[in-house]
Amino acid sequence: MTTLQLENIVKRYKNHTVLDHLSLDVKDGETLVLFGPSGAGKSVLLRLIAGVIDAEEGRILIGGEDMTDVDAEHRGIGMAFQNFALFPHMDAFENIATPLEAKRSSADTIKAGVHRVAKLLKIDHVLTHRPKALSNGQKQRTALARALAGSPPLLLLDDPLRNVDAKLRFEMRLELPRVLAAQGATVVYVTQDYKEAMALGDRIAVMSEGRIRQIGTPEDIYNAPADIDIARLFGDPTINLLDVKPNAEADGVSVLLSDVRIVLPGIPANAAGKACVLGLRPEALSFVPAGTPGAIPVTVEAETPLNEKTVTLALTVRGREILVSRPAGTPGPASGSAHIAVDGANAFLFDKQTGALIARHGSHTGTQGEAA
Amino acid sequence: METTSTLEKTLRLLALTLVVIFFMFPIFWIFLMSFQTNETILRIPPQVIFEPTLSNYTALITGKLTSAAGTLDIAFMKNLGNSVFLSVTSVALALVLGVPAAYAFARHKFKGSEDIAFTLLSFRFAPPLLVLLPLTQYFQWLGLANTYIGLIWVYQLICLPLILWIVRGYFEDISADVEYAYRIAGHSWFATFRRIALPLAGPGIAAAGLLAFIFAWNNFVFALVLASADKQPVTVGALAFVTSSGIQYGQIAAAIVLSVTPTLALALYAQRYLVEGLSLGAVKG
Amino acid sequence: MASPATPESRRSGFRISKKALPYVLSLPALLVCIGILIPFFTAVVYSFQRYRLSQPWARQFNWGENYLNFFSDPAFWNTLKVSLLYAGFTVVLELLLGLGIALLLQRRSTVNNFISIMLLLPLMIAPALAALMWKLMTNPGFGVLSYLASLVGLHDFRWASSPSTALLTVVLVDIWVYTPFIMILLLAGLRSLPTQPFEAAALDGVPRLFVFFRITLPMLTPYILTATLFRLLDSIQQFDIIYAMTQGGPGNTLTVFQVEAYLNFFQSTNVGRSAALLIILWAITYILSNIFIKNWLRLRERARGEA
Repeated sequence: MTTLQLENIVKRYKNHTVLDHLSLDVKDGETLVLFGPSGAGKSVLLRLIAGVIDAEEGRILIGGEDMTDVDAEHRGIGMAFQNFALFPHMDAFENIATPLEAKRSSADTIKAGVHRVAKLLKIDHVLTHRPKALSNGQKQRTALARALAGSPPLLLLDDPLRNVDAKLRFEMRLELPRVLAAQGATVVYVTQDYKEAMALGDRIAVMSEGRIRQIGTPEDIYNAPADIDIARLFGDPTINLLDVKPNAEADGVSVLLSDVRIVLPGIPANAAGKACVLGLRPEALSFVPAGTPGAIPVTVEAETPLNEKTVTLALTVRGREILVSRPAGTPGPASGSAHIAVDGANAFLFDKQTGALIARHGSHTGTQGEAA
Repeated sequence: METTSTLEKTLRLLALTLVVIFFMFPIFWIFLMSFQTNETILRIPPQVIFEPTLSNYTALITGKLTSAAGTLDIAFMKNLGNSVFLSVTSVALALVLGVPAAYAFARHKFKGSEDIAFTLLSFRFAPPLLVLLPLTQYFQWLGLANTYIGLIWVYQLICLPLILWIVRGYFEDISADVEYAYRIAGHSWFATFRRIALPLAGPGIAAAGLLAFIFAWNNFVFALVLASADKQPVTVGALAFVTSSGIQYGQIAAAIVLSVTPTLALALYAQRYLVEGLSLGAVKG
Repeated sequence: MASPATPESRRSGFRISKKALPYVLSLPALLVCIGILIPFFTAVVYSFQRYRLSQPWARQFNWGENYLNFFSDPAFWNTLKVSLLYAGFTVVLELLLGLGIALLLQRRSTVNNFISIMLLLPLMIAPALAALMWKLMTNPGFGVLSYLASLVGLHDFRWASSPSTALLTVVLVDIWVYTPFIMILLLAGLRSLPTQPFEAAALDGVPRLFVFFRITLPMLTPYILTATLFRLLDSIQQFDIIYAMTQGGPGNTLTVFQVEAYLNFFQSTNVGRSAALLIILWAITYILSNIFIKNWLRLRERARGEA
């Protein structure tokens, strides 16, 4: 285990700035997920930490030591790549053994080390195969095993589940926490899949355009997304976003949805009158019987059962689309007209112009069900 | 695929036959000549059936040519030895110099790397005499005139651009992440170069080396300008035969056969590499 | 776990810095080539001098005189004419022949693959030796080709020894040696073309000639251009075949650039004129190769874009 600090990292390719004064602290033993769309600079950042490419500015500290000018091979890092990057001319055993060979370990130590990680990742039966003869899932496990074999204090995983099929990805998502815990390393994990980020990260750093937009625990990010983009990236189905213009209230502000007044407690009064966007998580909405106070009348358009939940597409009287999700198996609305209840305490309000979350004062953070 | 008429099939067959005859006949004919005495060669019409003789080859190999006019010494075996030595050492040197440089060009987009790569490529297209003629004078001053070292140096003009260009393409085809993975696993850049880049670019290096060897072997003008008789390869040596008196045509043919056998054998043995190298050098990069 | 060495010790010691590494790797190759660049500049200097090896005392700068003299020099115009004729004939004929053979061999079959390997052989023979082979076959006394010519009524056909047929003879040798090069390139190109357009055209019953001119040829263009420029650059500089065959003769029938420069240097010892000739040839090839490289880069970009 070790710590990792990035201080003011700048990376440019020609005139394009890939990383823009980026700073980041990863704590001892933590799994930090770098999450963001492709092109955000996540992979470049990992390669900078690994030392295979150099930054124009900034410092990289591993375990408190300045590693900025230290070559990749001396940084004590293990890394797994999205495209696996296996050595095609070596069999799986030799691939996994490379970090151990670099330490000039004895043949027995190498053998024991390889078998340890191979067992952990359940690939001990294919160790004599060349990468060409491995399935995609086996390749991915071999790549992970190679990253783990040297017991590096710092582990960099560059979207390792990207190139495996959905079933394998699901299995690995369950299995990885166990593997990483057994390893006891500090982990930086890159992914574009928010579920993976939420499942694996102690903390998540949301990146876009070379900057970190928000960093926090999965709950923080889900329950208090820093801006509209982040709110949109986390959550399936996507958050409902509705243009509103709030009015001042005694506590916070209120917005009108289909002429129904919804109070958002704790929102600073200066938000009143501004163009805003109301963010409603589909799972924060529920169908209620007609006549419930504060219920909004809608027309049910379509119902889509997903694995663990059912998603309803509804239209307000003004024709705005709203997605409502409920646990699978619970009774839904009859087709045609229905009513939904909105809990103002669980709604987000964003400044339409800047996209930033308008924070509530006090501790009015919503308490929503478990993320994802 | 499509329905081909009998007429078309016949025409295709005829065309292919003509093509094969045109390209194969000279090799076949010179091969035949090399087993003939002057007497049968001079017969008209030319003979396809004759009493084959090995005398042409024995004369070349022993270096003694006995004729009515007396005994003549011919240094053809020396030429053949020069060809082998010059080609092998030139390609070896070009590989030692060119493979690391190709790696640098492929992996590190350093300042001016594209310009340098193109400059090196442009050597391939510059008229060789432009460099060779002034070089004769420099070689006099440097004491490199008519030395193997001088010749091997100049042969880099043929071998180096070829190797740089082809091998660079192969290095570029290796995923950078594969090399990164090895570095991160704790190995130096040199270990990465030796154990990852070199083995993965192996087929390309073989193809480039093979082509460079053939080009070096087949070179004519470099040695014509810079080497005198005792350092000349077969290309120049065989030509000198034609003008020397007392030589018989069968011996010229035998000399040609001996001179082209190594490259033809190599080409047949490694034709897959060769085709790849030729098309890569031209189309890819 | 992390190695016990401090970062300081990891940085010091014998280690090539990251920035210097590419230069260190390419330096030896560059040095070898730079040594060869010096004579190039010497040649430029020579081309601006009156310089005869036989009269070293009279050596002096005459600036552009060597070049200006070319305008009124019929020998120079002959060199230019013969070089262009040679390059033109060889490239056009080899291209047509190479394309034709590639089309004949396009279908993958044992016989076709065997023939394409056989056809590689002339390309592997040194051009100088190939010229020698043809010289033996076209010998007026016993050459088999002279005999064959007489069979079709061309008695006393002199091949390379007659001014009227010398160009034809060397062009023939060039075709024999270099057509396989174009054939290989175009065959590789033809076999790498996607099959869908052809299948679609066959289904629609599009006439074969139309398919050839509207689908095959346009798709093959990058390969054809590459092959053409490669051959053009080689052909305009041809020395080996012509020198080995006739040494530029008979008379000055075949004094192409490099042969003329060679003879000027070693026979008439006119270094200045020889250098000026080569500089002009270099300028021609430089322009041609720039066209080639630009074109090649564009094709490469396009290929990468598609990938």
